[in-house]
Amino acid sequence: MTSELALIQAAKKGSVDAFTRLVCDYREGLLRFLVTRTSSFADAEDVLQDTLISAYRYLHSYDPRWRFSTWLYRIAVNNAARLRRVETVELGDLGSEESGPLEQCIAAADRENLWASARRLLSDEVFAAMWLRYVEDMSVSDISAVLERSESWTKVNLLRGRRLLDKELKRESSTNPSEAYG
Amino acid sequence: MDNLAERLRSDAERIDVTISPEMDNRIRASLTGIKPDAPRPPVRILRRFSWRWASSATGVAAALAVIVLINLRAPEPMPAMTEPAYTPFAMPSVALRAQTAVLTSPLEQEFEDLQSDLRKAEESLRRDLDTIF
Repeated sequence: MTSELALIQAAKKGSVDAFTRLVCDYREGLLRFLVTRTSSFADAEDVLQDTLISAYRYLHSYDPRWRFSTWLYRIAVNNAARLRRVETVELGDLGSEESGPLEQCIAAADRENLWASARRLLSDEVFAAMWLRYVEDMSVSDISAVLERSESWTKVNLLRGRRLLDKELKRESSTNPSEAYG
Repeated sequence: MDNLAERLRSDAERIDVTISPEMDNRIRASLTGIKPDAPRPPVRILRRFSWRWASSATGVAAALAVIVLINLRAPEPMPAMTEPAYTPFAMPSVALRAQTAVLTSPLEQEFEDLQSDLRKAEESLRRDLDTIF
């Protein structure tokens, strides 16, 4: 954490190297998250680039009381939402979710990826909350900060998401016991 | 960690994404072209303070202007005749015109009867007083 703060201080002074080292550990996780929230892999890459540029430019507004990843994910969520709005206005519809970047990235898997089911079953925000909780290990308050929602909303929707995915997992286990997890 | 959490984590790891060298270069190039913004001074707060002082000064100036205007106005000329001092209300004297009653005969009779009754009552009272004392 101390080295992270040192890198932030250096980046604030204009060191691209420090910033690159700072975000190095987060880039792949961010891209994986953005793949679930955009309509193409290229869009996910664009949003990642915009996110990193915004983070670098507005690094002075970062509050060290937050985790750096929380701040980064908040920017990413906002950028992805902005892109979705533009796409909705331009195209009218985002097209089929079945052929989205998430499905492309997990096409080679031998069993159904639960995140693909989550994408189908959960709303955007609940999906994001579940991802931040179970993949990024964020606390409820951090998730609330990223999604700009209250903690009670986050708790309730995490529970709903869990129940839906639990049901899906059980249904999958009962359909195909040999491939069931756990 | 429960089954669902484990499954979600492992499935997330199975989402195959990598940052390509092209992407890496693209990001680095875009970062090189920009500089981090310096924190901005709290302009709004200062402006709010200056507005508050400005409005206070305007209020004081207006009050001073009103005072000066009132004091510089030419004094009104004194009236030649002043109102008389308060005098208690004097009851006007009313000329009473009393006329002597003209007694007619039935009234004269009644008056005599009353005088007779009065005499009888006086004699009776005197007798009683003599008896008692």
